[in-house]
Amino acid sequence: MKKNRVLAVVAAVAIATSSFVAFAPSASAACSSKLKIAYQGPLTGPEAALGINELNGVKFALKRFLAANKSANVDPVVYEVDDQGDPAVAGPIAPKVAAEECVVALVGPAYSGASKVSLPVYLSAGLPIITPSATNPTLPDFGKSIFHRAVLTDDYQGPALARLVTSRVKNAKVFLVNDASDYAVGLQKTVDITLAGRVVGKDVTPTGTTDFTATIAKIKKSGATAVIYSGYFSQAAVFVKQLRDSGSKIVFASGDGTLDNQFIKLARKAAEGVLLSAPAIPMETASPKLAAEMVKAGWTPGVYTTESYDAANFFLEAIKAGNTDRASINKYVSTKSSKGLSKVLKFDAQGEVSGADVNGFVIKNGKIVLLGAIKA
Amino acid sequence: MDFALLRDAFWGLTFDGIALGAIYALISLGYTLVYGVLRLINFAHSEVFMIGTFAALVAASGIMGVKVEDDPRTGGSMILTLLVCLLVAMLASAITAVLVEIVAYRRLRQRGATKLATLISAIGVSISLVELFRIITDSLPREFPRIMEKTFLFSYAGADIRNDKVIVIIAAGLMMFALERFITKTRLGKGIRAVSMDENTSTLMGVNINRVITVTFFAGGIMAGAAAFFYILVYENTSFKVGFFLGISAFTAAVLGGIGNLKGALFGGFALGLMETWTSAVFGTAWKAVISFIILVLVLLIKPTGLFGESIQQARV
Repeated sequence: MKKNRVLAVVAAVAIATSSFVAFAPSASAACSSKLKIAYQGPLTGPEAALGINELNGVKFALKRFLAANKSANVDPVVYEVDDQGDPAVAGPIAPKVAAEECVVALVGPAYSGASKVSLPVYLSAGLPIITPSATNPTLPDFGKSIFHRAVLTDDYQGPALARLVTSRVKNAKVFLVNDASDYAVGLQKTVDITLAGRVVGKDVTPTGTTDFTATIAKIKKSGATAVIYSGYFSQAAVFVKQLRDSGSKIVFASGDGTLDNQFIKLARKAAEGVLLSAPAIPMETASPKLAAEMVKAGWTPGVYTTESYDAANFFLEAIKAGNTDRASINKYVSTKSSKGLSKVLKFDAQGEVSGADVNGFVIKNGKIVLLGAIKA
Repeated sequence: MDFALLRDAFWGLTFDGIALGAIYALISLGYTLVYGVLRLINFAHSEVFMIGTFAALVAASGIMGVKVEDDPRTGGSMILTLLVCLLVAMLASAITAVLVEIVAYRRLRQRGATKLATLISAIGVSISLVELFRIITDSLPREFPRIMEKTFLFSYAGADIRNDKVIVIIAAGLMMFALERFITKTRLGKGIRAVSMDENTSTLMGVNINRVITVTFFAGGIMAGAAAFFYILVYENTSFKVGFFLGISAFTAAVLGGIGNLKGALFGGFALGLMETWTSAVFGTAWKAVISFIILVLVLLIKPTGLFGESIQQARV
């Protein structure tokens, strides 16, 4: 008798589950109101500055699009997804975004770690994405058909960062440090390969490290003439400050994770002369006219604003061409091309873009100054 | 493994390790004092420290008018600024510690709540404070202005001895000495020792338990506030999560030395500071926590009460 009751419960649960699955909204459920463009990245948290740069680019693109296409069935408000750049935060949020029927395209995620957990969810929901800044080379494996990237990967940035240092430091002897994040480990790997025999030492300082004494002792003993730090600006600032306070004057270089005005604010004088690379182009360089228009509209362009603007425009062009659901928008961005400010966006089978540059920057008098494309 | 680095840069690493250890030791005194009296870990102590760092920041910019882009101060103005920041940080941390006691401990204690309930309420206060500061600071780290030019006083066997770290080591030593005097010589200090020995008997002897506990939290807060100022003087930045990393280290230091024992907390602090710096040099910075905790586990396996045992009664610094 007892056994039967257990069986009955199991059967009831099974039926309930299967019917729930059957009635769950499918990925292609039609949107009954205006189509939404989403943006995902860190909008609060220590990395928020980058996310806000990108969100502003998306907002600016949407504003210009709606001004030119007044009858377009697109929500004038960007659907904001704040993942704090943290995989642990992104994990629970992604299914909610995927379940929003009217979200038909997503610019982002901004960070590689958060992308790795979000992309499989968007893949199963068929939601097309164009990331303006997640540069880890393995991301197409996670996003497959819905994945597109508007910038070059760390496979390009790493070698360019290495060349930036060797072109400015004669016979450079380089010490490599990374913060153990997905992004930093990937970037450092390619820097390391390019520098080959020039690497004189390495250390890993996981996020949260406050005391760099031992790392600095290693750098000094190695006789390095340059340090390349792979990681994000908040820790890079602490590190470069301690390095300068220890009396060391060797060149400090880092990638796009450090390319942020917050870095200068935190490191102050220690930030002077720091070399940075990014597969991005500032709005002011790409189009001074649009940059001025954006400032007038109340948004300050920053790193990756141009790339986010381009990504959002590609999606909006898809909608303008009559595509109103996720699948057709995905097909449009995967096969057509879009003339952006930073470059012509034309994705290959992996969703990667080509014909773009990695730019070099130097911090001078408290400002990020563009040095130009880093030559091969 | 790079033993050559440890050999070549030994004195430099040791000096920096002692400065870091002094900060750990000051924080761990707070853990150990509270444990000695209440037999409870104050999990909100890391936030008592965190608030100290922000108080120093406010003191520097708000009270003393130091701007981050200013040149470092000199002479009397520098000494005054340093002292004001130190005092404000100590006071803010001490007041926070006393409030934590009133909110998270006192009422539960008087109503005879279990130790677990008190533990959870302390963790709750800790999380609330962290989240509060996350919201206030918009999750961004904050920079501390440079009040004092950082210069090398002298070089010894390849070790560059920097002025700010010397100040930290000497001042921390003085603070510890003052605490030792307070615990051993004053009436209130005797009260703390009496309660830690036997709460019931001391009540019968006329010791005001509530006052003793308040004083204990206050003293622990003072030490954490001093640690906060020294930390921000050396590292020049803070964030809402600064207490988490430093708090775990300081708590480890207290357990290593024998929680409840003042001498143990001091020894544990310095030992952990040195161990972290040395192991970072030999195995790489990523390994410092692994090695430090392996050593902690080994010590506890051999001596479960920590190196100096679990007692505040015969407190000696």
